[in-house]
Amino acid sequence: MKTPGKALLSVKGLTRDFGGIRAVDSFSFDVHEGSITGIIGPNGAGKTTVFNLVTGIYRPTAGSIFFEGEEMAGLRPDKIVRKGIARTFQNIRLFNRRTCLDNVLTPLLQRERCSFPGALFGTPGARRLERELHERAIELLSALGLGKYASWQANTLPYGLQRKLEIARALATEPKLLLLDEPAAGMNPEETRALAALVAEVRRNFNVTILLIEHHMDLVMNICSPIVVMNFGALLAAGTPDDVRENPEVVSAYLGKGKKTNERTSG
Amino acid sequence: MWPGLFLQTLITGLSIGGIYALMAVGYSLVFSVLNFSNFAHGAVIMLGAYVGLALAAKLSLGFGIVLAGSIAGAGIIAVLNEKLAYSSLRRRKAPSLYLMISAMGCAVFLENLVYATIGSRFYAFPEFFGRQVISIGGSSVSLLDVGAFLFALVAILGLHLFINRTRTGIAIRAGVSDMTMCSLMGVDLDRLIAIVFLLAGGFAGVAGVFLGIKYLVYPTMGWVTNKAYIAAVIGGLGSLPGALAGGLILGVVETFVSSYISSVMRDVFSFSLLIAFLVWRPNGLWGTDSEEKV
Amino acid sequence: MDYILSIVILACINMIAVLGLSIFTGFTGLFSLGHAAFVGVGAYTSAILTYYYYVPFPLALAAGSAAAGLVSLIIGIPTLRAKLRSDYFAIAILGFGEALRVVLENLEITNGARGLPGIDNFTTFPIVLACLALGVFFARNFLRSRWGAACIAIREDPIAAEMAGVRLFRTRLLSLVVSAVYCGLSGGLLAHFLSFIQPVMFTLVQSTQLLAAVIAGGMGSLSGPLIASFVFIGLPEALRVAQMWRLVAYGLLLVLIMVYRPQGLMGYSELSSFFRRKDNPGGRIQP
Repeated sequence: MKTPGKALLSVKGLTRDFGGIRAVDSFSFDVHEGSITGIIGPNGAGKTTVFNLVTGIYRPTAGSIFFEGEEMAGLRPDKIVRKGIARTFQNIRLFNRRTCLDNVLTPLLQRERCSFPGALFGTPGARRLERELHERAIELLSALGLGKYASWQANTLPYGLQRKLEIARALATEPKLLLLDEPAAGMNPEETRALAALVAEVRRNFNVTILLIEHHMDLVMNICSPIVVMNFGALLAAGTPDDVRENPEVVSAYLGKGKKTNERTSG
Repeated sequence: MWPGLFLQTLITGLSIGGIYALMAVGYSLVFSVLNFSNFAHGAVIMLGAYVGLALAAKLSLGFGIVLAGSIAGAGIIAVLNEKLAYSSLRRRKAPSLYLMISAMGCAVFLENLVYATIGSRFYAFPEFFGRQVISIGGSSVSLLDVGAFLFALVAILGLHLFINRTRTGIAIRAGVSDMTMCSLMGVDLDRLIAIVFLLAGGFAGVAGVFLGIKYLVYPTMGWVTNKAYIAAVIGGLGSLPGALAGGLILGVVETFVSSYISSVMRDVFSFSLLIAFLVWRPNGLWGTDSEEKV
Repeated sequence: MDYILSIVILACINMIAVLGLSIFTGFTGLFSLGHAAFVGVGAYTSAILTYYYYVPFPLALAAGSAAAGLVSLIIGIPTLRAKLRSDYFAIAILGFGEALRVVLENLEITNGARGLPGIDNFTTFPIVLACLALGVFFARNFLRSRWGAACIAIREDPIAAEMAGVRLFRTRLLSLVVSAVYCGLSGGLLAHFLSFIQPVMFTLVQSTQLLAAVIAGGMGSLSGPLIASFVFIGLPEALRVAQMWRLVAYGLLLVLIMVYRPQGLMGYSELSSFFRRKDNPGGRIQP
């Protein structure tokens, strides 16, 4: 079954070894533009490693990562970000001691061509840019419902809002592809439903393709299509939620028989 | 026949290299287990020398006992150092920046405490080895130099066996790869870390005594340890064979530069060697590429 | 009165160097126990220019600062690369301090270990105050800028910083050069105030004092280290405490602060925020 939209991200034969351990094994899959693609699999299947490879934190041992037709493997992370890939982290990595505003402002600032002397001397031009970016940051925070927390220190926010802040910060880099690493971790069913709605909204409002790793099956099955299943670093299956749900190998490796799909499963 | 100067330079270089290696091993041991640079190591070396000096000069004890006393003394000081200055930071999972600052604080505190109480006078150890020389290949080399080199080799070999053959040693190696997993498997982390510091301190004590005998004992002698850090980088941070190799290489090359070119430029040369390694081979000769887990 | 004024001038000169180290350690989170070497480079460069070549004072100051900045590249470029841990930089700058001392003690032009006396007394209180004020002004603007935000992001989380578009190597290097320039300026002012400089004035002892001021004042703050710096210069003078006991105190202070109150006096906040009513119900700084 072909999914519409061209392949924004195309991973081919991706392999990564750590000493004697092969964390990712000849892994290939495509992410189509405009989709919300999900990656699922037991713990240790290599999902986060794939994210780290795509975002340049690790270099692949072998294989290619094509984004909009361009090879990304081996590029520095900040270069990859500038090409249009952003991510959030499994264990939230905010700029803890900065305010929410500053968290979102930092990526906005990095995208601007600022003049060093202008900034140092505080010229009117520099000040104007500062104000503009400040407003944009507030807008972005408000778009995710974090407007009133702008001057709060990031790590004083409740957990669920910290996750949203991380998403806001990722969106500040104006990505074409947003990687979310277990965005619903630690959330109860109600929060998970709200997150699902948020993800769909983000895709719509920011015109961004989403690739997410998750263990909450109800979230994945409801909003993702296609779904890619990993096991032992390799591709186990890929397809629509129905395809995956009924695939016997996936079921035995990960989903289990007779489990309610809205129960959190773990590998 | 080896030319006399060459052989003498080599032996002297190996001797000082052996001392660098002893210093580097203690530093690398802590680095590999706790993942931070214990910049207080130099101060422990210095205190080990003073302990040895007290035993030798005040109590007129023999070399063996003096050495044993330094090992014990420095070991205990190192364990105390860990308990007071690092353990609470470690438990809080404080960044290595905090640990380095605390380490530096300890070094400055201890060094200047000695300076302020015992004084800045340079002390000499009693003549343990006399001016004894032995003849190797037709040249006379000092017994002390040969002794220091051999001792370093034996001690480091002993440590290597300990780490690889005994239960505690294996626990230490496990801790090196994964601290958290180690504690989850029931290893008493505090005890393990205390043992690591005891070992590191012991080596520091030996280094201190040899340094004190070869040169002199004074409060700021700990800063020779900068050479040990450079040696550890050359050999590969965190690697014990690397510390040995790095120490010997640095000692020998430095001494040759000192003998054949200029003794004044020795420190400039060491710094340049460090930079050269950092530019071309930052992981050193034996280092492994450790990437942070994301 | 003269004595008090000279203490104040010394304190202000020190504060300029502390500003620099604050940017590097307090705001970028990189450890350095050797920034006194940059003070020394600035001091000697500017002193040699005015003493032997009669270069005008402002130019000599600028040259001293620039020299310190350039020299910092020698250490920074090999050690601040993205994949290298901060330990490498720390070891390198310790080694550099030693190497510098040896060089200074063995060059004709620096007059060796005896030191360089008879430097013109160009530094006055207004000049120092002006430099300090400009220093604070530029530092604040730097920290608000894209580069300052990048530095702070690196301090908080280097990997997340990269994901926000920060170039790790370039930013760390910039932070180092900026801090070295501040230290170089401080050195130039110092040389022309004391009229005499010696290699031994720019070693670990002075680096420790700088770091102690930054840590005690608080990482992530400019006003905190400035206050601490002032206290550290002024108080021991007032109490006539001997140099070596001051260092005992600094060492102990560093350990105690790290163990009990890592944010120091004003970590991550500024004096000005106490006077402005801040809407921050989330509140407490958690170091």
